[in-house]
Amino acid sequence: MAEVTLERVEKRYGSYTVVPHLDLKIEDGEFAVLVGPSGCGKTTTLQMMAGLETISSGRLLIGGRDVTALPPKERDIAMVFQSYALFPHMNVRDNINFGLKIRRTPAAEMQAMVSEVAQRLQIDSYLDRLPKELSGGQRQRVALARALVRRPGVFLMDEPLSNLDAKLRVEARSFLSKMHHEIGTTTVYVTHDQSEAMTMGSRIVVMKGGVIQQAAPPLEIYRKPANRFVAGFIGSPSMNFLELEVAEGALVDGAAGIRIPLPDSRSAEVARSASPTVVLGVRPEHLHLLADGEGGQYATVFQVEVVQHLGNEMLLDIVAGPHRAIARADEDARVREGERRTFSVDMDRVHFFHPRTEVNLAISG
Amino acid sequence: MSDVALMMRQRSLVAGKLIGLMLLAALVFVWLGPIILVVITSMKSNDAFLAGPFALPTEPTIAPYLTVWNALGFGPLLANSFLYASAGSALAVILALVPSFALSRFDVPGKKLIFGIILTGLMLPQQTVLIPLYDTLRALNLLDTRIGLIIVHAAYGMPAQILILRGFMTTIPREIEKAAFLEGATDFQVFWKVILPLSVPGIMVGFTLNFIAIWKEFVFGLVLLNSEANFPVTVGMLKLNSDRYMAVFNLPAAGLVISQIPIVILFLLSYRKLSSGNFAGAVKG
Repeated sequence: MAEVTLERVEKRYGSYTVVPHLDLKIEDGEFAVLVGPSGCGKTTTLQMMAGLETISSGRLLIGGRDVTALPPKERDIAMVFQSYALFPHMNVRDNINFGLKIRRTPAAEMQAMVSEVAQRLQIDSYLDRLPKELSGGQRQRVALARALVRRPGVFLMDEPLSNLDAKLRVEARSFLSKMHHEIGTTTVYVTHDQSEAMTMGSRIVVMKGGVIQQAAPPLEIYRKPANRFVAGFIGSPSMNFLELEVAEGALVDGAAGIRIPLPDSRSAEVARSASPTVVLGVRPEHLHLLADGEGGQYATVFQVEVVQHLGNEMLLDIVAGPHRAIARADEDARVREGERRTFSVDMDRVHFFHPRTEVNLAISG
Repeated sequence: MSDVALMMRQRSLVAGKLIGLMLLAALVFVWLGPIILVVITSMKSNDAFLAGPFALPTEPTIAPYLTVWNALGFGPLLANSFLYASAGSALAVILALVPSFALSRFDVPGKKLIFGIILTGLMLPQQTVLIPLYDTLRALNLLDTRIGLIIVHAAYGMPAQILILRGFMTTIPREIEKAAFLEGATDFQVFWKVILPLSVPGIMVGFTLNFIAIWKEFVFGLVLLNSEANFPVTVGMLKLNSDRYMAVFNLPAAGLVISQIPIVILFLLSYRKLSSGNFAGAVKG
């Protein structure tokens, strides 16, 4: 086991900088998830950790040892690829013990190590099969076994679940989490799927344009997003953003008929923006559909454009002037498309973002 | 659409199909006709051939085959051809493996230029290299030797091997190679344990094509060899065209059939392997 430290790490391709400046410390035994949209630099960062990409400047330490210039095999790491990258001409056993053979591990010891890991991953009955004779889920386990068998200090995983179907993915998620609890090896996991990040990571590192936007435990990221990007990226459906004027202690858009009073507890936060407008961030579950005729202190009217039935709940696409939002509602709520309905905003749980810098005003103070 | 119009449309469709089939039949005749004619001729006596060159054999015989095999010493000729084709192709493939690996996987400086220079070897007509090759072999005391001709065939075949193998190796998913590096393999181990076994279909394609090319090759054998004992079958077949056999047709036909049999066998043996997917299960589900 080992901690991973990136100090002022940069990655440039000619004059193009992919990762401008990265400082990150992943603690020993942590399950860190690098998450972000395509092109945010998460895979490049992982490949720099693996030694598959050179580091243009800065330092990488694994287990306190500077490995910046070391080849992959001297970094005490193992990696699981998105495509599994199994050796198609070797059977499962030879795939798993490939690294052990390279390291000239004695045969008896190697056999014991392969058996142990194969049993743990429940692939011990497929050891003589070729990868093409396995299902997607089994191949993924073989890739995992190949990484596990050497007992590396750090696991690097590059979207290892994205080739599985939805059902298998959910199973594999809990399987990986359980395995991490049992083994406790430091894991760096890359994904673009925020739900994977939320469910598996002990810490989520949200990246955009090669820059870390926020690194924190999942619930903290969800509840206290550092900026509008993080707030919009984490959570499904995404957080709604409404840019509103601040006037006379309320958030207002006269043309859209919106006037939401600011509670005293939040007014200082909004004042920090020092701007005539502020971006109100409200998650779909914090926009409550009110019954006909019901009102409230923080209520405002939207037109329901589309009703999406999910079985256990509904998603309502709602509009007020130029503002669009999504609200969650109980499946048994009575609502029709085209209706104008009143929604109450849970002002204790909304976020305020600066309209230009997009930082969360609760944190920027 | 009225019934009459429908019927006319169906008729024109049938007519179209018929014309297509006739065209296909004509093509089949053009391609297979000479082969069938050679096989038929090889199974007739010469008199029967002269009596009806295109007639089917009324009394099929293997006498022309026996004559060619025994009287003209076809056994050693075929053995020589087999040696040149197999050793020349094998050497060409072996020589091409490492450059193909380097050109397909590494950022070698001037990679495109190097590849371009190698490819010019493909475009050199045999006539342009005959005299320099002759001089070189003479200087090395390799003229009229089997090993000399094998080396020439290997060198002449190598550019095509590099073209085929480089193309094939480029299709091997990069992540497989990265996975091997991460598991601790050196460049050589990646090549030896991963890339090489996965290149077997490409190697077989290259080997087979080169084998056929060498088997059919005539000019190098004719110019660089003098002793009959070293002749490949193509050069040895010249004997069948000498005066003694001028009016004889069935013996050259039998010789042609015998000389082609190894190629057909090679193709049949390698066809399935050549067309099978080798990366199944390597990546994705």
